[in-house]
Amino acid sequence: MFHAKKPSTMNSHDRPMCVQGDSGLVLTTDPKPRLRWTVELHERFVDAVTQLGGPDKATPKTIMRVMGVKGLTLYHLKSHLQKFRLGKQPHKEFNDHSIKDSPALDLQRNAGSSSVMMSRSMNEMQMEVQRRLHEQLEVQRHLQLRIEAHGKYMQNMLEKAYQTLASENMASGSYKGIGNQGIPDMGAGMKDFGPLNFPPFQDLNIYGGDQLDLHQHNMERPSSLDGFMPNNDNICLGKKRSSPYGGSGKSPLIWPDDLRLQDLGSAPTCLGPQDDHLFKGDHHQIQIDRGTDLDSISDIYETKPPVIQGDPMCDKNAKLERPSPRRAPLPSDRMSPMMNTTGGMPQERNSPFG
Amino acid sequence: MAMAIDDVFELDFSGYSSTTTITTTTVTTTTTSTENDHHTCDWNVCSPIVDWEAFPVNHDDFQDLIESMMEDEGLNQTTSNSNSSTDTILIDEETSGEDFKGLRLVHLLMAVAEALTGVNKSRDLARVILVRLKELVSPNDGTNMERLAAYFTDALQGLLEGAGGGPVKHLINNGPYHHHHRDDHHHQADVLAAFQLLQDMSPYVKFGHFTANQAILEAVAQDRRVHIVDYDIMEGIQWASLMQSLFARKDGPPTPHLRITALSRGGNSRRSIGTVQETGRRLVAFAASIGQPFSFHQCRLDSDGSFRPSALKLVKGEALVMNCMLHLPHFNYRAPDSIASFLSGAKTLNPRLVTLVEEEVGPIGDGGFVGRFMDSLHHYSALYDSLEAGFPMQSKARALVERVFLGPRIAGSLARIYSTRADEEGCCWGDWMGAGGFKPAKISFANHCQAKLLLGLFNDGYRVEELGFNRLVLGWKSRRLLSASIWTSPSKSD
Repeated sequence: MFHAKKPSTMNSHDRPMCVQGDSGLVLTTDPKPRLRWTVELHERFVDAVTQLGGPDKATPKTIMRVMGVKGLTLYHLKSHLQKFRLGKQPHKEFNDHSIKDSPALDLQRNAGSSSVMMSRSMNEMQMEVQRRLHEQLEVQRHLQLRIEAHGKYMQNMLEKAYQTLASENMASGSYKGIGNQGIPDMGAGMKDFGPLNFPPFQDLNIYGGDQLDLHQHNMERPSSLDGFMPNNDNICLGKKRSSPYGGSGKSPLIWPDDLRLQDLGSAPTCLGPQDDHLFKGDHHQIQIDRGTDLDSISDIYETKPPVIQGDPMCDKNAKLERPSPRRAPLPSDRMSPMMNTTGGMPQERNSPFG
Repeated sequence: MAMAIDDVFELDFSGYSSTTTITTTTVTTTTTSTENDHHTCDWNVCSPIVDWEAFPVNHDDFQDLIESMMEDEGLNQTTSNSNSSTDTILIDEETSGEDFKGLRLVHLLMAVAEALTGVNKSRDLARVILVRLKELVSPNDGTNMERLAAYFTDALQGLLEGAGGGPVKHLINNGPYHHHHRDDHHHQADVLAAFQLLQDMSPYVKFGHFTANQAILEAVAQDRRVHIVDYDIMEGIQWASLMQSLFARKDGPPTPHLRITALSRGGNSRRSIGTVQETGRRLVAFAASIGQPFSFHQCRLDSDGSFRPSALKLVKGEALVMNCMLHLPHFNYRAPDSIASFLSGAKTLNPRLVTLVEEEVGPIGDGGFVGRFMDSLHHYSALYDSLEAGFPMQSKARALVERVFLGPRIAGSLARIYSTRADEEGCCWGDWMGAGGFKPAKISFANHCQAKLLLGLFNDGYRVEELGFNRLVLGWKSRRLLSASIWTSPSKSD
């Protein structure tokens, strides 16, 4: 039902003859009488619509009455109004040009309508995507905090158990130390761990602290780990504020790039600064940067939970070595730090659990 | 049909480990190294497992069968003594020994299952095969399949002994280790260590907890007082993250008061990480440390495990949530009657939300015991694979988790399956709740998103699906393992 036929009307040799009628309407001599919406006519249309209270309130009938243009039929108005409703903005642009009745303008209008429709739904889509992204970031943030809480609870439980065992073992005299802290052996199960090192509690902060004490075993990517320490701005997921819980300020969680984007289709590639308002202060800056391969970072951290949970028993190195099929090792220079160097964060281990 | 398993039944044991893939109509041995992996065998014609229909119940034949199955040479030899020599399973020369062994173990296990309950029951046959199995496997070394088979062997042994006389019921909760383990209870330190490791290597625990918690948070967003009744609080770690979230919540009344009532059972929980009281103390201390207003209560279950809603102390104006974690890997099985009493009691209390986490069982069809046995094998096989993917180098660590949690679970699972007759075959608890009138509550986008993000921290083999709008199901590769669903009370209006 669209007036013009797209480009075909624009070819000069194709161009139908135009007749200017009495009322100032330009009608083509097509077999089907088509109305050309000149700028002037359009302006009158817009005035009428505005008078009537906007495109949603105005009806073809009322517009017709208000415009009072002879020869203008309901049919013309209906389709024009519809187009107008769908995409007001481009029309405004066209009005600004004040180009009279040019084929180019018509082309723009013609093409504009469909692209207007498209760009409008593109807008909607984009907004939806943005909304989802924001929501997803919120979820991420919450998840991080929850995992930390989980880990803290775990840590407290373990500490208490260690202490209990320590006192038991001391009493019974079977005292085996692990490392130089003198923490007693935790039962048969732990003994089986052979080559695994279970660093004493104080060293549990190594992931977030200043020492990366991971020399015990071969590490596949030792150099890349150095990238963890400096805090650069690219992908920083460290939590800088100290949580109410002593040493749990480190939350080196990596969010694999593709995981966030796969659901969103045409997600914007970079949230960057415009999302700062989402985050409290200097909290988490998560930049979705398609260029960066986060996969292998997350690979390293995949079983991050041990640290977050203050786990004394995991073999971190084993995890670091773990090859994950789809993830390639990341060169160290591209690594951004996942951890927060809380430089001066004290390793407070005063457990309220006693 | 040689096997007692339905055609619809498909088993996929493949994963990171070199286990085998079995379908009911074809046998496919996959190896990681060879290309020409697919050697199919028409099950209708040949079977490494006893073809019960073809053979009369004749002792001699059984001996032949047993011998043929025990031979080490090749699977060719273990086909039944039918004249199907040309149709024997083609095992490629390059088939790795491990895959072959894994396949054989499965066959042997299946044979025991059949011998225990099949048409031609034979306890003797079962006993013999079990002896053989025990020679082949050990819970501490070998591949996933081998260690898994060790636990299944043990579980089957328990059934065999239990079936002779004593009640199998005690196996459900205690497992066969109960009578031949050195200590009746695992060393507390082992339990803790295993629990820590379990969480490091897999997302099961967090998935269950976080999904439930997110749903709870959404449901009580505007409430000042929240009361959670926890069916099986165990070590209480689920509530740590809930407290953190409640404390930090932005919308709605800030820092609502949280009250948790934990149901306690008489008798010692074998694999517990402490008693309910200890858990309560931990939670109180944790809440204090973050500044979350909190109180903890205990409510005893009756001696038979049933829940009496009247025993609960309720406060007006509080939002009531019933939390039912059933089958996280470190949990014991609970008696179905007890669970049923909890859920039906929940209905009468008109809670704001009911959260349910249970294991996801495969389609059973008419498999009978053998079918469900194989499904269980499949289930735990996937579980083992997933743990290996999380800790590929640390077989000892995994062995600990298997010993402390999974082994007893396997025993419990088989005992349950064994004691459930076909006619009383229950559906999962989710279906039960739906049938009981509970209304499904929608899993939010945020919840689903959280699950996906959580899994992303682990291995790509995990996947989460949203099934039926109130349920998230965590699976390993193609096998669904754990289901988290949320419900509201039937009389509540939306």
